[in-house]
Amino acid sequence: MTGGSRVVVIDNGGGLLKAGFGGDNDPIAVVPNCIAKSPGSNANSKKWLAADQLQAQDVDVTGVTLRRPIDRGYLINTEVQREVWERVLRGLLQVDPTNSSLLLVEPQFNPPALQHATDELVFEEFGFNSLCVADAPSLVHLYEASRQPSLFHSQCSLVVDCGFSFTHASPVLQNFTLNYAVRRMDLGGKALTNYLKELVSYRSLNVMDETLLIDDAKEKLCFVSLDVPHDLRLASLSFKDNPFRCSYILPDGITYKKGFVKDLDEARRYCSLPVEGELDKKDGDRDIDKDRKKPELSQNEFALTNERFLVPEMLFHPIDLGMNQAGLAECIVRAAQACHPYIQPVLYQSIILTGGSTLFPRFAERLQRELRPLVPEEYQVKIISQENPILGVWRGGSVLASSPDFDSMCVTKSEYEEMGSARCRRRFFH
Amino acid sequence: MDGEEENPGPFRRTSSRTRRMASRMASALSSSDNRAQAALARLDALESDNAGAEVVDLNDDEYGSTDEEDHVLMQKKQSKNMKRKTRQGKALEKRAVRSFMDVLQEANLEALPPHVPTYLRAAVGPPSTSSRRHYCSVCGNSANYTCPRCGTRFCSCRCQVIHNDTRCLKFVA
Repeated sequence: MTGGSRVVVIDNGGGLLKAGFGGDNDPIAVVPNCIAKSPGSNANSKKWLAADQLQAQDVDVTGVTLRRPIDRGYLINTEVQREVWERVLRGLLQVDPTNSSLLLVEPQFNPPALQHATDELVFEEFGFNSLCVADAPSLVHLYEASRQPSLFHSQCSLVVDCGFSFTHASPVLQNFTLNYAVRRMDLGGKALTNYLKELVSYRSLNVMDETLLIDDAKEKLCFVSLDVPHDLRLASLSFKDNPFRCSYILPDGITYKKGFVKDLDEARRYCSLPVEGELDKKDGDRDIDKDRKKPELSQNEFALTNERFLVPEMLFHPIDLGMNQAGLAECIVRAAQACHPYIQPVLYQSIILTGGSTLFPRFAERLQRELRPLVPEEYQVKIISQENPILGVWRGGSVLASSPDFDSMCVTKSEYEEMGSARCRRRFFH
Repeated sequence: MDGEEENPGPFRRTSSRTRRMASRMASALSSSDNRAQAALARLDALESDNAGAEVVDLNDDEYGSTDEEDHVLMQKKQSKNMKRKTRQGKALEKRAVRSFMDVLQEANLEALPPHVPTYLRAAVGPPSTSSRRHYCSVCGNSANYTCPRCGTRFCSCRCQVIHNDTRCLKFVA
């Protein structure tokens, strides 16, 4: 059906869009799924930066206005999405949609109206040959089961996808997501970034317009506390004794165009960051920056103390934000309890963490501690952290796209034209 | 008829009296309403993309006009890259402004039978323990005190002074 053409796999996340070809190990493009416009270019050039253009070294992201195609996890603005896809498919993947098929990762419980809009975008705007829609948890399970024999034998797992827009705990059985047992928390990386933005703006420096910078600060500095009251007490100590205190420097648009952490050793003082290699690489240029920066302690920096762990803390206690929802641990337990009692012990034994927000240091450890008292004593709790939580879903998609029966799962363009969106969608069991 | 006419009369009179008598109470009551609204607005703000732009809330003409220009630009781009705009494409453009919540209301998920899993039923629901921890809005410590005017939390006298001086009644930063 699709012949020798390649399969484009797109994990259309709210924060990052992951795109590449089926069968590859890594996606070609991991880019922000948004378009942005810097305030300065308002008058003269009306240029919007899309996707990878935002990641370029010399781009100043200060005060940009963002437009995202995805609202609360669902594809709402197909207009913006087309801009981003256009850029990714033609610019980065250099693929002709008319002779390739698409594997698209779609959020669960996508309302029919949005499914319809997505189909229109895929078939009518881009003219893809065929489309296959998959949901994230089953792909994560597929990928992990292809790597871990124990998962492969038990055939089921509980996928915790803590992404940009929301968090899902979804039991997967034999590559099918048990949709009646899926539980969702309306809290993800986006809300955490905005929360940090709010805290910083309230306490030290107005950064309400600096979404991308605060996103970066959050990724580099936030971590999950294992003992909140204890850490709070430590954080209330004054400057030098405070093990959490560290500052983030905002770009000034002249010497540096990217924000960065002022002193990484200081930042790492208390939380042992697992990604040592990545940090070491940056040590070089950081030293130069420090020398340059030291004399002028300008207003272009802000310090974080307890915000560093109070922000990710919200995932475990959304009620602290005033959000009347259970925390992550309880969310997982409820998802498991909605399943048949026979598979519950197996589910607890294979909890897979995926999604960018699980990258906070000590996330898995904290979850294990919160989960243990909630799970029946005789069951084992085992949390599997993915090797790369951001790419986990995409890699599963890549595995699926290279499987021999992928073609039979697709809806072709001619089928779509003949039967319309609603009928075609039945094939994907949504 | 008589009863109906008489009833609103005294009701109106008493209500005006209570308003005058307990002005402080009334303001406290209305402020608690504001607080609930502020809490909701805050949760909403956590999901927004450009907090700055949305706080300004469209009375800034700049943002509106850029959006329009942007559409024009997009159309130009498309006409360069792709074929003409279809009618569906234009309809899509209009629909694109809706937020997810609008779509959700249109989908009318409540009407489905209870065994069908939907977006609404997948929500995790309220926590089993409702103990809410409060953090000081000024410094982030666990906060034991509440501002009587706006309900924001603070932890100490020092933070209260800062709060009263600069932040009281400013709900969403």
